Amino acid sequence: MRWISHLDLKRTLERALRRADLPLALTQGHNPHPKLSFGPPLPLGATGDAELLAVHLAEPVGPGEFSERLNAQLPAGVEVTDAWTLPGYKKKETFGDVDVAEYRVQVTGAVDAEDLQRRARQLLDRTELTVQRGGQRPERIVDLRPHILSLSLARSGSEEVELHMRLRTGSHGGARPQEVVALLDLEEDGRVVRYHRTGLYASVEAAAPGSRGVWRRWSRTRSQRERS
Amino acid sequence: MQDLDFDVLLSRVTKPARYTDGEWNAVHKDPAAARARFALIYPDTYEIGMSHLGLHILYHILNAHPDYLAERAFAPWPDMEDQLRSRGLPLMSLESRTPLRDFDALGITLPYELTYTNILNVLDLAGVPLRAAERGPDDPLIIGGGPGAVNPEPMADFFDAILVGEGEEAVLEIAHAVAAGDREKALADLAEIEGVYVPSRYEAGFTAPGPRGSVNPAGSAPAVIPRRFVSDLDAAPFPTKQIVPFLDTVHSRVTLEIMRGCGRGCRFCQAGAVYRPRRERSVGTLLRQAEEAVAATGYDEISLLAFTSVDYGPIDEVVSQLVARFADRGVGVAMPSLRVDAFSVSLASKIQEVRKTGLTFAPEAGTERLREVIRKQLTEDDLFAGAEAAFTAGWTRLKLYFMIGLPTETDEDVAAIGDLVRRLVGFGRGALGSRRGRLQIAVSVVAFVPKPHTPFQWTGQDPRDALQGKLQLLQQELRGRAIKLSWTDAGVSGLEAAISRGDRRVGRAIEEAWRMGAKFDSWGEHFDEERWQRAFARAKLEMADYANASLGFDEGLAWDHISCGPGKAALRREAERAFAREEV
Repeated sequence: MRWISHLDLKRTLERALRRADLPLALTQGHNPHPKLSFGPPLPLGATGDAELLAVHLAEPVGPGEFSERLNAQLPAGVEVTDAWTLPGYKKKETFGDVDVAEYRVQVTGAVDAEDLQRRARQLLDRTELTVQRGGQRPERIVDLRPHILSLSLARSGSEEVELHMRLRTGSHGGARPQEVVALLDLEEDGRVVRYHRTGLYASVEAAAPGSRGVWRRWSRTRSQRERS
Repeated sequence: MQDLDFDVLLSRVTKPARYTDGEWNAVHKDPAAARARFALIYPDTYEIGMSHLGLHILYHILNAHPDYLAERAFAPWPDMEDQLRSRGLPLMSLESRTPLRDFDALGITLPYELTYTNILNVLDLAGVPLRAAERGPDDPLIIGGGPGAVNPEPMADFFDAILVGEGEEAVLEIAHAVAAGDREKALADLAEIEGVYVPSRYEAGFTAPGPRGSVNPAGSAPAVIPRRFVSDLDAAPFPTKQIVPFLDTVHSRVTLEIMRGCGRGCRFCQAGAVYRPRRERSVGTLLRQAEEAVAATGYDEISLLAFTSVDYGPIDEVVSQLVARFADRGVGVAMPSLRVDAFSVSLASKIQEVRKTGLTFAPEAGTERLREVIRKQLTEDDLFAGAEAAFTAGWTRLKLYFMIGLPTETDEDVAAIGDLVRRLVGFGRGALGSRRGRLQIAVSVVAFVPKPHTPFQWTGQDPRDALQGKLQLLQQELRGRAIKLSWTDAGVSGLEAAISRGDRRVGRAIEEAWRMGAKFDSWGEHFDEERWQRAFARAKLEMADYANASLGFDEGLAWDHISCGPGKAALRREAERAFAREEV
């Protein structure tokens, strides 16, 4: 499932919603389609367990029933883990405030953990980290440093290490986890790097210089879940 | 193979989802419980192969049977091929990632001449000997079928068996033979099945350069292979639980086959000649299949498939009923082949796809005379009436299909295409009034390719220079803001003709071309005309003997042992009728 693009995932969910026969609200016009909003795209090759989808329904369906019906129609590898009702739905703005993504990166293969620790610290000590971003024309030079909010070595063994990182994301710029891994020189032949997104957040207050800012986790917290 | 290792491969190729399976409605069966395991292979990319209805039909029939199993594979894109070859990995099936050579049989589609090098590449990547004669008891049976099977000779040396005609009924007979025993027994059983050609039981004789000669049984095999066809289309199995690809394929929608075959009898058209008779599905069956398929797939579009949808008797009824049932669910109706020859604007305006892409007309030739020669039943009055109705209903874009190099064609006929299009542009400007600026006439031009089993099978294709000259003439004729001209490369058409009318010797040229690196020849960026010329030269063949030579009515032809219905005498009468008016 990690190998399908964001666009493919959108289509997959749209078709599953239709198979589930949920009362979808449709747009007007010649070519009506369901009103859906998605969180920021997951990079190709990455998995995630805090992804966001908002579905505009024409009539109310309870969150439990919604999850159950949709899950019965989803291909292996995609699952609704939680659902809740969003009051005051406005399509465009649903996840517009998501600006931070958290990743768990597993590197399998021979890695010198101490050396990696040192390189990660050096990276964070820099005030500027410019990289050239291909794939766009003209190619752009981007400073990634302000977009790396945290980076730590969470686990290290002889054949596998795990990195955790929080990166700024969204329309105002951001860093991709692959770019950070490239800066750490981890993508060598013989190593396998796996990316997993563990959280999406929205800034509650802008980060003051030197501080990490305050974020709200977008997927529901446990206490929110229990209240509803 | 381990997931982790496969992930490394996938991380290095474009569109990794071409190789990953897991799509909704894909079938995973226990190989231990299957008496015959098939890998169904389409020799092009995943996206093109998954848009081929035949693959869905056979996959569904085999997997619905308790004794058989079918998985899928496609031609890997060169980046994936590099990954496989550099790691010494074989090509594997999508569903269980089983090496192809471990299946009992590989069922390979013969869709179109320019995919044939991909078939050799797939066999090589699977680790299966290219030639049937080199295969042993442990190799899978290589079984072909599909449109190209009507002249199996160019690929005959590479296949153990080839089914000629439609597969719905024959596929289970074939599976039964594959399950029955070892290779020798299976081949003997396959040869007994009506419509199945086992090339190793025949000898190809050649009487002259080009496809002149005959193919005769070496033993007790039947002298003529009759093509199979399904007599009752309404009762034929049809997959409503169609696999839903993650990737955007050519047809990301429910496909319903409303009709098979075509009753028009255009003399250049092979599909029209070999898929006879014209058979329809009933409205009731189609509505039931539509409900089932939309529920099982979640697609938002239903596409009605037929050579000429407008010839389907109850077309108005089926479109109206589908629109009425599905409109409020956000599911639209599409017709990919809406040739508006028997045009109905009220019908077209109901159809979503047509709204997006515009209407298509296929006059094929520029003059009434030449349209009569090819038996294209579309008059200029029909064309202008259809165009007027379309402009009145709000369309501003029309697409026109033409052929150049048709039998008896002169430069006047070619110039007449330009004249016709220009008159249509003038007419369109007048009809559209203030919206005239939006008028667009897209003109698509292909070269005539003589095809076996058609009345024009004896006619040589125009030599490359002549085609090029006619194309240049058209390019001069068709200038202007409202006209958009596109064409198929003359080299591609020449190769298509040479393989289409190829004999067994042409297989050597295909193999040489593949050895020199030819693959994905139907993809413009991969086609190398000069390489193909070298390949024919190495095989000691002249491409012109196959593509351009005109053949005699009384000569034996390389595909005479395949019977597709009308018969050679009837084809000859049709050809004589086409050319007779010339002598008047």
